[in-house]
Amino acid sequence: MSEEKIYSAETPKIAAPENWKPVIMGFLCNWCSYAGSDLTGTSRIQYPPNIRIIRVPCSSRIDPSFIIKALQTTADGVLISGCHPGDCHYVTGNYYARRRFLVTKEMLKFAGLHENRIQYSWVSAAEGAKFAEVVEKVTDDIYKLGPLQRFKKEELK
Amino acid sequence: MDYTKEIQEIAARLFVEGKIDVFVGYEMTTYSKMLLPCVITKAEDVNRLMFNERSEYNVANMLVTEHTRNKRVGVVAKGCDSRAINMMLTEKQLKRENLYIVGICCDGIKSDGDLQQRCTECSIPDAVVYDELLGNPHKKREYKPSDEIIRMADKTIEERGDFFNEIFTNCIRCNACRNACPMCYCSSCVIDRDTSTYFNAANTPSNAGMALLTWSLHLAGRCVDCRNCERACPQNLPLRYLHKKNEQVIYDNFEQHLAGEKPDDRGALYKYSLNDPDDFIM
Repeated sequence: MSEEKIYSAETPKIAAPENWKPVIMGFLCNWCSYAGSDLTGTSRIQYPPNIRIIRVPCSSRIDPSFIIKALQTTADGVLISGCHPGDCHYVTGNYYARRRFLVTKEMLKFAGLHENRIQYSWVSAAEGAKFAEVVEKVTDDIYKLGPLQRFKKEELK
Repeated sequence: MDYTKEIQEIAARLFVEGKIDVFVGYEMTTYSKMLLPCVITKAEDVNRLMFNERSEYNVANMLVTEHTRNKRVGVVAKGCDSRAINMMLTEKQLKRENLYIVGICCDGIKSDGDLQQRCTECSIPDAVVYDELLGNPHKKREYKPSDEIIRMADKTIEERGDFFNEIFTNCIRCNACRNACPMCYCSSCVIDRDTSTYFNAANTPSNAGMALLTWSLHLAGRCVDCRNCERACPQNLPLRYLHKKNEQVIYDNFEQHLAGEKPDDRGALYKYSLNDPDDFIM
């Protein structure tokens, strides 16, 4: 499938307003990815300002409902990031999280969400440059997909 | 498949021997074609008990009601019921020494003469945990992808989204599915806390979607495919789509895990392997 076709698979019902900027909710684990994002800042590496970061104690703290709630309220995409396998501060947390991520992603894909809306990455505390790359990639993907139409909270009448 | 006589005999014997306080089985009622779960408290009532191919309900969630909790209970269990009991034993909701399980080698449940669809796909028809087994054990069956998964496989994202949007729009959020589920025993559930702003109680498609998706993901790796939720739904929503997808993903990726198949197995999301797929993670 061509790239154009992949991104047109989820056709927006309403065209994106001018100057629309995506909001990406980032759930970062306290011990690796949050420190990694800190390093990105202190190393003065530029990355898109569309990400809103929420710090969680471990990637396995993330309940599937966090992701759905983020998409329902403001986010157009979700980025979840934790320690590399084997590096978890709580030894096995990210192994459990990895299983949960796969099931959550497949379920939301099944329910009609584009797979690029929910992205996962392993970023360690030393990978400041990788964090900037990841955020750039995710932002780029969400720009191509446009604003999220499904799962959005209804406007009050 | 008619074990009415055997079950009545077993129940009477257990009451006389004083091994149980109550017996949970099925009875015939005037308001349903199917046999409904019932709780028998004394030996004189055992004639009410019946079991045939119309015993479709899962009786496992009858084991944590006020009539049965902390009592010695005899229970009839088909394949799917026994898997649910197995899960509840593992999750410390029941005590094995309080249970006397009459296992059934189930030939499938019929509604209007036809085998139900879930029973044609069933891979564990025999009771996995029992004190006494009725019927002849079946040969080992292969796990098949369910009809729902096959039907959804060719659809585009857009079509799948519209399909689920219709489910969420029609949902009236009565939470009957959650109440009927044997694995949903929590006394206070996240999706209907009165004071909750996180799970908004307003009956809108997005809120219903959030509740149903979260519910199904909390049941991932624990759902035993008894279909109590679909039967309880007043809107006849095809809730099985949600659970079957999780089951399929878990079966394909996590060592062919099926909920409640083995004793002391808490479900696929409560354990891990170093070789789990992670090609979707950057």
